[in-house]
Amino acid sequence: MSGEVYRDRIIISNDTRFLSLAREFIARMIRVSEINKVDESKIILAVDEAVTNIIEHGYESQKDGTIEMEIEAAPDIFRVVIRDSGKEFDPNSIKDPDMTDHVKKGKKKGLGIFLMRQIMDEVKYVFKEGVQNELILVKHLKKPGGAAPGPKV
Amino acid sequence: MPEFQITTQKLQNGVMFITVSGFLDAHTFEEMERTINDLFERNIYRLVVDLSRLDYISSAGAGVFIGAIGTAQENDGNIILMRPSPNVKEVFDLLGLSQIFTFADDIENAVRNFA
Repeated sequence: MSGEVYRDRIIISNDTRFLSLAREFIARMIRVSEINKVDESKIILAVDEAVTNIIEHGYESQKDGTIEMEIEAAPDIFRVVIRDSGKEFDPNSIKDPDMTDHVKKGKKKGLGIFLMRQIMDEVKYVFKEGVQNELILVKHLKKPGGAAPGPKV
Repeated sequence: MPEFQITTQKLQNGVMFITVSGFLDAHTFEEMERTINDLFERNIYRLVVDLSRLDYISSAGAGVFIGAIGTAQENDGNIILMRPSPNVKEVFDLLGLSQIFTFADDIENAVRNFA
């Protein structure tokens, strides 16, 4: 990839059986981007967590919903926009979990948003009244000066 | 090939060796959960889980182990995780679970935790 911007999108049904399809789509777009191997698996995980949340919480028992994923892979940014028409849900309203407490109470859920925040540089949520939820996950690949971003501290 | 497979094998001292392969995500985690719950119902709380053939794990998959380790430990057992791939280990690291779970490189070291 040398300066090109790639865009693609897919629409999947609201069912966990299609998570593998979502992951394959992300992997395909990562392959045309400049994302390194270390970040590749983490970004796939972050998107899986976002889509899983929509299936399990956004749509709950509703079975006929769809989830649209749109990706822009540019030299300096990898942007994933996920749209659904399920229940309004702002992931930024959820606090990071206390893992010791999580284990103590035997809680199995509620970790996806924490992972999304750990992995991505930006997690933005937009609710469009009567239309849909839009979740935007961004990974910056280069700083404005051109240097690759260092590891998160 | 199925997305996710589990096999179990009895070892000595009431230790159960569980091998998992494939993808452990929100679609497949219930199978893992069922397997662990079945073992708990049979009073088997000493579990060694071989993750070396697990290609992928999400928080739904890790959640099964998080939800079960307390019960195992309360019953004189534990869940020892063996040989996760770097990608799988990374998920435990990101979740801050690496200090909570014991990881082992081989069966001998894993079983030693129950001595």
